[in-house]
Amino acid sequence: METSVREHSEGIHEHQGIPKVILPAEFYKCSRTDLVVLISRMLVSLIAINENSTTKKPDDQITLTRYHSKVPPNISIFNYFIRLTKFSSLEHCVLMTSLYYIDLLQTAYPDFTLNSLTAHRFLLTATTVAAKGLCDSFSTNAHYAKVGGVRCHELNILENDFLKRVNYRIIPRDHNITLCSIEQKQKKFVADKNAPGSFDLDSYSYVSRPKSGYNVLDKYYRRIVQLVGSFNASPDKSKKVDYVLPSNIDKDTESGPQIQQQKGTLSPNSHYSQKRNSEAKDTNIYRKRSKPD
Amino acid sequence: MSSSSQFKQLEKLGNGTYATVYKGLNKTTGVYVALKEVKLDSEEGTPSTAIREISLMKELKHENIVRLYDVIHTENKLTLVFEFMDNDLKKYMDSRTVGNTPRGLELNLVKYFQWQLLQGLAFCHESKILHRDLKPQNLLINKKGQLKLGDFGLARAFGIPVNTFSSEVVTLWYRAPDVLMGSRTYSTSIDIWSCGCILAEMITGKPLFPGTNDEEQLKLIFDIMGTPNESLWPGVTKLPKYNPNIQQRTPRDLRQVLQPHTKEPLDGNLMDFLHGLLQLNPDMRLSAKQALHHPWFAEYYHHTP
Repeated sequence: METSVREHSEGIHEHQGIPKVILPAEFYKCSRTDLVVLISRMLVSLIAINENSTTKKPDDQITLTRYHSKVPPNISIFNYFIRLTKFSSLEHCVLMTSLYYIDLLQTAYPDFTLNSLTAHRFLLTATTVAAKGLCDSFSTNAHYAKVGGVRCHELNILENDFLKRVNYRIIPRDHNITLCSIEQKQKKFVADKNAPGSFDLDSYSYVSRPKSGYNVLDKYYRRIVQLVGSFNASPDKSKKVDYVLPSNIDKDTESGPQIQQQKGTLSPNSHYSQKRNSEAKDTNIYRKRSKPD
Repeated sequence: MSSSSQFKQLEKLGNGTYATVYKGLNKTTGVYVALKEVKLDSEEGTPSTAIREISLMKELKHENIVRLYDVIHTENKLTLVFEFMDNDLKKYMDSRTVGNTPRGLELNLVKYFQWQLLQGLAFCHESKILHRDLKPQNLLINKKGQLKLGDFGLARAFGIPVNTFSSEVVTLWYRAPDVLMGSRTYSTSIDIWSCGCILAEMITGKPLFPGTNDEEQLKLIFDIMGTPNESLWPGVTKLPKYNPNIQQRTPRDLRQVLQPHTKEPLDGNLMDFLHGLLQLNPDMRLSAKQALHHPWFAEYYHHTP
């Protein structure tokens, strides 16, 4: 049955009563609604993991952050995200980058955890920063704040807090998360490669790596489709639809089996160790390549 | 990380597009810096120009790009701490004007500046960053004759798929014809056109295409470079602002345009190089890297180890 569906090109198919959408291979060709569905599912499943009683931090160890509300907002993640996307005309790359910013912020700011109290303010801040940092068309904070339901003054503070925490490493590129955490350890504005104990930063230089990864958003896209593309596997039931990637797409084979083992998780630790492994591999490849040049 | 008490604020250097720049002294190291103060607006929050300038310049450590050392947050402003430079290329050229007659720079200095401009730009492009506002005002120079790219407020990362590519980029005189005709798929070649305009301006001391609006700007370009057509530039007639009724012009000899404004003879290598930068068709323009390998620069790359 699986194969009969895959033989078709892009389009919608029924599968056990759940409509099936075969997504384009590139996220920027997706409908933005589909992207919002997928990202919301990812956020909801991350929140479920973070709020799971066995992994949750005890109450006395929780640090309140600027992203916290007193009670969970009265609007679902999906509806809130759709609202932001529609009324602030958020572009595809802004939607995807907000997902990347979860990893970025959690690395730079371990007190921050995505949960039902923090997700809304996080999304508003992340989309505001991404739109202003990456796109030629963007709005004022006054507009974003109005759409997002917070006062402009508060959004200004959130934006400033975010930029400072991540040390302005807001371009979604492969090594920005690593570099951000190095800078934090060194307490430097820009990582110092000569600092004692610092690892080989040259391998992180874009110049010595001509084909270096600017496809970090593509990786995130593939990963979320694998993790939460299935309606039944996702805790967020906002939209009854199954998403799959076209069968000819170059699958993220190295991380595929690991992801299946921890179904529905993008838990920081396992996720990072996977990322580090793949980065280490990349680095070796590029070192080999850069010599003949 | 620095704090504002570390710097002594000295004289004002100028007003940038979204900020005021002061000369500063790092009290601990005794090194001069440029302090760019950005006001945080209550409606706008952190200006997008500042977010871009900081996030992109952090990645750009190169001797021909002005270094951003740090960012200092205070109550209602951001202070960007930059490497101090004595002057910019615009002011430097203006200072050489005699009476009302602009004078170009000596050709060996022109070559040295152009070499450094392209070195810095090649580094930006390799780092997947478009500058999008190259002009003499944004090229900073110091007493050692070094030239560095500054003001990355309009810059953007490329390689990240974005739908909206603004055509309101680059100061009019340095804006490429494809951008003037509304192309939104431009890339690194947009910066190369600006480099060509800057080269001609350094030679003669005056801007090559000083238009006052988009239409006049295109006319000035076509008057000298000729009117493009489908055979020279496939796809040009499909550009949003292509005007099929524009007067047809044949290209003029660029050497004859420039030579009257300089005493030194303009040789064939230089003219060939300039043509490589000022190709109407963006796909035909040299890349920054190719430009650095042009025979006009032979004396430089033969000496590079």
